Amino acid sequence: MPERRWSRGPSRRTVLKGMVLGTGSLVLGRFRWLPAARAQDSLQPSWNPADYSYTAWEDLYRRQWVFDAAGRSTHSVNCTGSCSWKVLVKNGMVWRDEQAADYPAIGPALPDYNPRGCQKGACASDYQYGRQRVKYPLKRVGERGEGRWQRLTWDQALSEIADRTLDIVERYGPQYLHAFTPIPAMSPVSYASGSRLMNLLGGVSFTFYDWYCDLPPGEPITWGVQTDSAESADWTNSRFIIAWGSNVNATRIPDAQMLQKARLRGGARVVVIGTEYNPTSVHADQFVPVRPGSDLAVALAMDQVVLSEDLYDAAYVKEQTDLPLLVREDDGRFLRAVDLDPGVANADGDDGGGFYLWDRRRGLTAVPKDGLDLGDLDPVLDARHEVQTAAGTVGVTTVFTLLQRELADKTPEWAQQQSGLAADTIRELAREFATTRPAMIIHGNGVNQWYHNDLANRAMILLVALTGNVGKPGGGFNHYVGQEKIWPVAGWKALSYPGPQRFQNTTLWTYWHSEMQDVDPLWPELKPYLETAVEKGWMPLWPNGLEGEPKALFTWRANWLNQAKGNGRVLAKLIPKLDLIVALDFRMSSTDLYADYVLPAATWAEKFDLSSTDLTSFLIPFTPVVAPFAEAKTDWQAFRALAATIELRAKARGFTAYDDVIDGTTVHRDLGTLHDQFTEGGKLRLDKDAAQFILDGSEETKGYLFDDLVERPRRFKAASEHWTSDLEEGKAYAPFQRYVQGKRPWPTLTGRQQFYIDAPWYRELGVMLPTFKPPLELSKHPLRLSTPHYRHTIHSSWAIDLTLQRLQWGEPFVFLNPDDARDRAVEDHDWVRVFNDNGATRVRARVHPAVTPGQALLFQGWEMVQFEGRHNFQAPISIHINPTQLVRYGHLQFKPNYWGPTGANRDTRVDVEKA
Amino acid sequence: MPVPKLDKDELLRSEHQLGMVLDLNKCIGCQTCTVACKTLWTGDAGQEATYWMNVETRPGAGYPRGLAAPNGGWTPDGQRGVRGRLPTAEDYGTTYRFNDEDALFAPGQARFAPDVEPRWGVNWDEDKGAGVYPNTFLFYLPRLCNHCTHPACVAACPRNALYKRDQDGIVLLDQERCHGYRFCVEACPYKKIYWNHVAKVSQKCIFCYPRVDEGIATACSTQCVGQVRFVGLVDDPKSPLFALIHTWKVALPLLPGHGTQPNVYYVPPTAPEAVDADGRPTGKRRIPLSYLQQLFGDGVGPALDTLETELGKVRRGETSDLMQLLTVQRYLDLFTLPRAPNNDAWFGAFAGPGGAPHHVPAERTPSETEP
Repeated sequence: MPERRWSRGPSRRTVLKGMVLGTGSLVLGRFRWLPAARAQDSLQPSWNPADYSYTAWEDLYRRQWVFDAAGRSTHSVNCTGSCSWKVLVKNGMVWRDEQAADYPAIGPALPDYNPRGCQKGACASDYQYGRQRVKYPLKRVGERGEGRWQRLTWDQALSEIADRTLDIVERYGPQYLHAFTPIPAMSPVSYASGSRLMNLLGGVSFTFYDWYCDLPPGEPITWGVQTDSAESADWTNSRFIIAWGSNVNATRIPDAQMLQKARLRGGARVVVIGTEYNPTSVHADQFVPVRPGSDLAVALAMDQVVLSEDLYDAAYVKEQTDLPLLVREDDGRFLRAVDLDPGVANADGDDGGGFYLWDRRRGLTAVPKDGLDLGDLDPVLDARHEVQTAAGTVGVTTVFTLLQRELADKTPEWAQQQSGLAADTIRELAREFATTRPAMIIHGNGVNQWYHNDLANRAMILLVALTGNVGKPGGGFNHYVGQEKIWPVAGWKALSYPGPQRFQNTTLWTYWHSEMQDVDPLWPELKPYLETAVEKGWMPLWPNGLEGEPKALFTWRANWLNQAKGNGRVLAKLIPKLDLIVALDFRMSSTDLYADYVLPAATWAEKFDLSSTDLTSFLIPFTPVVAPFAEAKTDWQAFRALAATIELRAKARGFTAYDDVIDGTTVHRDLGTLHDQFTEGGKLRLDKDAAQFILDGSEETKGYLFDDLVERPRRFKAASEHWTSDLEEGKAYAPFQRYVQGKRPWPTLTGRQQFYIDAPWYRELGVMLPTFKPPLELSKHPLRLSTPHYRHTIHSSWAIDLTLQRLQWGEPFVFLNPDDARDRAVEDHDWVRVFNDNGATRVRARVHPAVTPGQALLFQGWEMVQFEGRHNFQAPISIHINPTQLVRYGHLQFKPNYWGPTGANRDTRVDVEKA
Repeated sequence: MPVPKLDKDELLRSEHQLGMVLDLNKCIGCQTCTVACKTLWTGDAGQEATYWMNVETRPGAGYPRGLAAPNGGWTPDGQRGVRGRLPTAEDYGTTYRFNDEDALFAPGQARFAPDVEPRWGVNWDEDKGAGVYPNTFLFYLPRLCNHCTHPACVAACPRNALYKRDQDGIVLLDQERCHGYRFCVEACPYKKIYWNHVAKVSQKCIFCYPRVDEGIATACSTQCVGQVRFVGLVDDPKSPLFALIHTWKVALPLLPGHGTQPNVYYVPPTAPEAVDADGRPTGKRRIPLSYLQQLFGDGVGPALDTLETELGKVRRGETSDLMQLLTVQRYLDLFTLPRAPNNDAWFGAFAGPGGAPHHVPAERTPSETEP
C-alpha cells in the first residue's frame, strides 16, 4: 500500500476549489496538490477521508464535554470498594461521575490501585435526581406497605417522631428503641448520626456483620479477631491464590486487576474452587468444580494430606498454634493449671491458670504466657502421657494427635464422595498449597453463607496455619465479604457511643421477634442453647430477653427488610409489633415502604463523611459537591435536628430525666440538654466537625485535617492496637504479623491460633476441632438454592436503576442448568416459581450451561417491589441459628459484630416449576 | 444507490492512527466502560438502543444480534464495499422504562416492572457462554467503533458525511451533514453505527476526541477498572500498542476478514484447562481454537502460544517483558496519547476555585432547627 499523505489543514478552512494552499502548507510543513476532481463541492461519491472540510460541526461534542466544577466523593453501599470518585457538576447540578484515579502508589515495588470504581459508581448520579429519590418527609397514612403517604414538613415530622419516641421511652423504657444501621466503614459520620442519638437516649444498636452472614465465625474462634485481611496490593506478593467461594471478578471489581497482576506479572497460580463456572473462573489458571456445600469436606481432606504427608511447617505450628497443647483424655478439656493445683492464681478464669505442652527435654511444661517465643522449648507435637492431677492420674494427649485422629478418615477419597471432586486433584492442590510460599485463600460467601460456616472457616484456616502462611505477606486466609474494617476505629466509636451502649445481635433479634421458632424444624435442638444463652446473658436479646416485644425501629442507610432472611415472616410477625418505624433514606426502598415515617436523606455527593475498607489502606472522603436536593438533610443534620426536637418536646411534656442502668453502670439521662450532648457543646454541629472528630480520635488518622483528604487520598498513618499488624511505609498491609513476626500472644484463650475449643457446648456438639458436618437437609426439594451477589448491584443498591437494568433483563431471574430446565420443561425467559415450604418467589428462568446441575442460582438484592406479591429472593429462605455461635467461652464473648449467630442461608432446598 | 467501487490505491492512511489494545485476559465484563460512554455521550432521547461502547459475552449473539452473519465491509479483493444488513428493532431489543412512581410512591402495590416485555437487550446473554458444565467457556468482549484504516462506512456514505481525521485517524460522522440514509449502518461489519430515531441521524463513537484533544484518553479507557485498555498510536514504534501488535503479535484485530483494517486490537483470552467429570484438569484447551480463529483470524494460535510461554516464564520466577508490558505497574502507563498527556490536569485534579475539589462550604449544610 503506497503511503500517501494529504495536506493537513486547520479544522475550519474554507471549501477548496482546486486551489493549492501555499502559505498554509508552509506553516504546517507539508505541501501537496489538491486535484480538482477531489473537491467537495458535489454529492458524487468520492473518497477523501483525510481532507474533510466541514469540521465545524465537531463543536457539537466539544460543547457536551464541558462542566463547571468537579468535586470529590465516594459511595456508601458496603461494596468494599471505597473508591476515589470525581463528581462533575454542570449548572449547579450533578452531571456524571468518573473515577478520580488518584491513588498514589504505596511503594515502588507495588502496583497502584487506579482507577478503582465500577459500573455502579459510574451511574451513581442516577440517584441524585432519579424518580426513586425521597424529596421531602413522608408520613404513612394507610396500612404499612400500602403506599399512602402524606407529605409533612421537617418540623411536623420530627415533632411527631419525637413525641412517639418519648411515649415509648416513658411507657416502656429506652431499651425499646431499636436502631439498625450497618457498616460504619462506608460512612462513619452517617453511621454515628443516629447511633449517637440512640446512645444518648439509651436505645439499642444492632449488629450487621453477623446478620449479613459476612462474619466468618472461624476468625473469632481461631484467632480472637473479628476479621483482618490483607489489602489487595498484597495479593501481588503471593505465589498461589485459591479463590474459595469468592467471586472476585464480580464482587471485588476494583481489585480484580490486582488478581491479574498477581497472576500475570507475579507468577501466582490462581485457582477457583466453586460451583458454577463464574466470572472469576473465566480468568483463572484452574477451575475446580465442587458440589454446593462441600467446601468443608474438601478443606478437611486438604488438611489431612498436609498432616499425613508431613507437609506442615512444624516450627510454625509449635510456636503459633495450640496444636502442641495438652488435652485431657477423660473429659476432652485442655489440661489446665487448676487441674494440677486447685489453689493456683486465676483458677476460676476460663484459662484455669494456664495451659500445658510436653517439652522434648523437660516433659510437662506450662505454656509461656508473655509471648510466643519458645526460647529453647521444643514441644512434642505427637504425644501421649499420663499426668498427676489433684484428682488422680489422667491421660493427656496433644491437640495435634487429636487432630490426626479426627482427620484420619477425612481422606481425599472420602472428600470425593462428598464433593464430586477427584481425590487426586484434592491431593495435588493440598501438596501445591503446602509447598508454594506464600500461599493464600481468598475466602467468600460461597463458603461462608452455609450453616456450618464456622467449621468450613476453621478447616481452611487450619490449612493456612499448618502451612505457615498466616501472618506472612502474600499468604493467609483473606476474607473480604462486607466492608467491616473501620480503620479509624477509636474515633468512630467515641463519636457513635459517647456513653455505655446496649447492643443486639440482629440474627437473634429477628429470629425471636418474628417467632421463627414456630416454623423452624431445628427449633427442638436449638431451644436449650438459645434459651441458655439469653438467660445467662451470653447473648443480649432486647428489649426484654425472651419476654419482651420491640416497639420502635429506626433505620438509616440500610434496606433492612429487603435483605432480611425470612422477610415474609418478618412482615407477618415482627413488623406488627412495632409501634414506630422511622427510616431515613435518599431512595424509596422496600424497607421504607413499610415505615411510618420516611425522611429524605442526602446522597453521597451531598455530605461530608469518610470511607475506609479492608481492600486498601487509603482513606477517601465524601464531600457535598452540591447541596442536598429538595428537602434532604444529611444523616448527621437529620438526627441532630431530631435530638433538638426531642429536647423541645421532652421539656414541653415535663419528662426530661430518667435513670438508665447499662451493664451495671447507672446513666443519668437528661433530655433537657440532649442537643448539647449531641453536639458536645456545639463542637459537633457540622458534619465536617464530626468527621474531624473521628480523624482526631484515631491513631490511624491523627494529624490529618479533613481538607488534607480532599486534596488527595491519604494513606493511614498507622494501624492502632485494634489491628493485627503495623502499617509500614512502602509495604502493603498484611495481617497477623504482630503475632507471627512480633511473637505477641494471640487474643485467644490459649494465646495461640486455637483449633481446639473445649467449651462444653462444643464438646456436646462434637466440634472441638474442625470436623465434618454435612449441609442441613431441611426438605427433600431437589435443587440447592444459592443467593450470591450480582455484579450489577451492591445488595439492593442499583437493583432498580434504569441504566444498569437495561444491561440485564429488566426483571429478576433464576439461573438453571439446561438439564434441570429441560426436566421441568422450562425454557429461557419463562416465568417460574422457586419454592419450598417457607415460601415461593416468581422470577424469569435463565437457562445457563455454566450453572452446576442441581443448583438454582438466584441473585440477592432485588427489591421486594420487583416481585409478584413482594415475595422476593428471601421467600424460600429462613433463619437457622447455629448454637456454636451462641456460646460464651474465653475469647468468644458477645461484642457487636465480633461474635454472635450469623444469618446463614445456603442450606436451602427448593424446586422450580413453570408459573 | 450503487455500492461504492474504489481504487484500492486510493485508500489513504491518515497521518497517524490512534487505536486501542484490549487485553481480554483482564476484562471481567463489569460494563464500567459501557456505562462510562453511555452517561457521557448517548443518554438522549432516541439513543436508548445506542451503545457506542458495549461488552458482550462470547460465545454469544452480540449486539445487535446477527453479527455473526457475513455483513458489510469489503469484498476479499478490497475493491468493492459489501452492502451489509440493516439490523432490525428486534436485533437491538426492547427498550423499556420502569414505573417508579407507581411502584414506589403510589398506593396499589404495583410491581416495579418494565412497561414492555423485554425480549432482547444489549447484554441479554451475559455470562451464558457455550459448552457443557463443567467445561462451559466464555469470555468478555468489549466492542466499540474500530476507527478502521479502510472504513467501509466512509465509503458507503453518498453524502460523504463520514471522514477520518488526518491527525489521528478518528472516524467521525458529521451530525449536520448526515441525512439519515443509514448506508453506513449497513456497511459497517461491526454494526457500530447506530440510528437515532428521534434526531433521525446516524451516530457513532467519536473516540472521545474532545478529551483526546486535551490529552485525556477516552472515557471507556480511563474508566476501565480492570486496566484492560491501552490507548495510543498504533503506528508509533515507541508505543506499547505497536509492541503488542507488531513485535509480540499478541494483539489481533476482530473479524479481520471484512477487510476494514480495524485499529482496535485484542489480546486473546486464555482460560483454565478443561476438566473431566470429576474435576481433574485434562490438559485440553477450554476455549476451542477454532472459535477464537473465527473471531481473530489465524494469528490467534501463535498469540496464545506466546502468552502461555511468557506466563510460564513468570511462573518460574523469570522476567517476561511481555507480561510486564501487559500488566502495567502504573495505571497511567496504559495511555500514551500523541498530544502531551494531560494526565495531571485530569486524574486527581479537580476544577474549582483555586483548582481544588469543589464542594459546598461546610457551614451551608446545617439544619434550621435549633432549640
